[in-house]
Amino acid sequence: MRIVRLIALSAVLASISCAAHAQGKPAAKDALLYFIWPQNGAVIKGGFWCRFGLRNMGVTHAGDDYQNSGHHHLLIDVNEPLNVNEPIPQDKNHLHYGAGQTEARLELPPGKHTLQLVLGDAKHYPFSPPLVSEKITITVKESPATRGSVAGLEPGAGAHHH
Amino acid sequence: MREKFRDVNSTRNEDVPPRGLMPRRLAAIVAGDIVGYSRLMEVDEEGTHIRMKRIQRDLIEPSIAEHQGRLVKTTGDGFIAIFDSPVEAVRCGIVIQQNMSGRNASLPKDHWIEYRIGVNLGDVIIEDDDIYGDGVNVAVRLESIADPGEVYISGGIYEQIKHKLVCGYESLGDRKVKNITDPVRVYRVLPDPGALSRARTRRETILIILLSLILLGGAGGTLWYLLRLPYQTATDRMSAQAQSRTSDTVPRLALNKEAPPPSQASPATTDQPPAPQTQPSALVGLGPAARTTKEAAIQAPPAPSPREPEMSTLRGGIFLMGSNDDITEKPVHQVTVKPFAISRYPISVREWNQCAAANACSFVATGKEDAPVTNVSWSDAKQFVTWLAGVTHKAYRLPSEAEWEYAARGGTQTRYWWGDEFQAGMANCKNCADIGAAEQPIKVGSFKPNPFGLYDMGGGVDQWVEDCWHRSYHGAPSDGSAWVEGDCTSHVIRSGSWKNDQRYVRPANRDSYDTNVRYPTHGFRVALSP
Repeated sequence: MRIVRLIALSAVLASISCAAHAQGKPAAKDALLYFIWPQNGAVIKGGFWCRFGLRNMGVTHAGDDYQNSGHHHLLIDVNEPLNVNEPIPQDKNHLHYGAGQTEARLELPPGKHTLQLVLGDAKHYPFSPPLVSEKITITVKESPATRGSVAGLEPGAGAHHH
Repeated sequence: MREKFRDVNSTRNEDVPPRGLMPRRLAAIVAGDIVGYSRLMEVDEEGTHIRMKRIQRDLIEPSIAEHQGRLVKTTGDGFIAIFDSPVEAVRCGIVIQQNMSGRNASLPKDHWIEYRIGVNLGDVIIEDDDIYGDGVNVAVRLESIADPGEVYISGGIYEQIKHKLVCGYESLGDRKVKNITDPVRVYRVLPDPGALSRARTRRETILIILLSLILLGGAGGTLWYLLRLPYQTATDRMSAQAQSRTSDTVPRLALNKEAPPPSQASPATTDQPPAPQTQPSALVGLGPAARTTKEAAIQAPPAPSPREPEMSTLRGGIFLMGSNDDITEKPVHQVTVKPFAISRYPISVREWNQCAAANACSFVATGKEDAPVTNVSWSDAKQFVTWLAGVTHKAYRLPSEAEWEYAARGGTQTRYWWGDEFQAGMANCKNCADIGAAEQPIKVGSFKPNPFGLYDMGGGVDQWVEDCWHRSYHGAPSDGSAWVEGDCTSHVIRSGSWKNDQRYVRPANRDSYDTNVRYPTHGFRVALSP
């Protein structure tokens, strides 16, 4: 009888794990997503390490469906509102850190840029309500070393080291 | 904190410091060291040293300070710090480990710097630049048994923090520590409390599913054997295939009375010749066990012969790869591509599921069968080509990035294969055609083929290629081969998807994504060497 119950339980568990879509998972109430660096208004020369801060939630690999955890996405110069019913887009303005990175090397063209972090769940959906950082504005100054070579936005799905 | 002890005489050189004079106190001791430091030093002495110093300066020291701790000393490859608060000590350990995993993520595995961290609560004797006491030895011992990237804590720390720090704690039992009489209780810290219960539930669930599958397999086999007895003579004439069909139907019939969930009937169907319908997804990941039960029930299943993707053979040639539209596409350089074949369409859900049905790909794709398969990581795509090459005995593989662009250009050097200006209705991209944004891209081959007769080279799904990601073409090979040296934690994706705008449709456009991460717009096509 117990075995039958176990089988029923396993069937239920299996169906739940298949049916449970990650969409609109709630974030921890006191979770805070923020930039450790740079700070709003920073003026930076050349490339820099952008560091992501997250309090009261854990950073995990995309695809890992653990409670209270997610992975970082960095939005660069994005003006459109975030659609919470779709996965966070993946393109040259929406960088993904699905390997659980907590920092990234950025090389942005000179000028003003906005940066914003969005925490995504296992399936890259924003949490509900979305857990986002303050949108910060930074100014990148041309560094003498890279003058002339920086022309476009550097994408990077990973934090690129040299 | 340092000032507090400045009045203590320097007794550092004495073997046994006079007890009464030394400040003893209770402290949370954090010991950390780098795993395989000598191996790292062998690989790259100078680089490792510089990186370690940088980690100490940028991460270890600030993290300790931020958590109101004090760095007591640094050894060649490690450090010891003390904290007033056990909570802060463990927090500091977690912060260091999480940051390290971020730093390592973009490096090849043999360059990873990984720390082991142990935290213990104990009575210690503190000097300016060292501390003594059993408590320190235990912290060091905990650190030495910790797995790379992990924080291990003692029972003393656990008791202090269990209700204060929202983490998962996994008890590893009592461990004997050298030169210390009583065994020490050891806990592994999981930064996220869900991870622990989740890991447990998952383990239990898998066990339960395996158990029920074995039982069902056994029951199915017995039923099949019993039912087969009266028809012995008839069965003799049956082919192996027919037998497998019988075995498929019998458990179904037997179980139908109890209205079984779909997963219960499927063990017997898993290895059938690839059927066009998708397999129930409950079986994914149960590979070996499902196969074992099934092998007991079916004798000699016929080897599956998959339907191969439609391939176009390209003659190869010289072309200019890259563009000046984006820094990643520079410099434009000449590449010679050898003759090869490439699939006319991205791999479809149907094609993918043949691999899943053979237990060679790790998940069953859902959605329309003619649509391109999506949500595949680079590693998933590699599994598919490995399986396809194995069952067909042909050299199927992922295309190189150069081959992909050569094929996508279709002999043209313009911004798009049809010219320099974008034209609506030519590719499946965002706001490019009269189709609404959907969960899944529309079926493969819905738009015009390029001059090489290839469909969806640009738009539709992003497509993985063999190459590791490089942020420009400086140093790229010119013989059309895949560029696999360098940062292989991310690979190149091409084509842009139905969710990207028209700029991404350009044949020169390139982007990257983490190798082992799945994303809903990522698919692939296959290539074949002659």
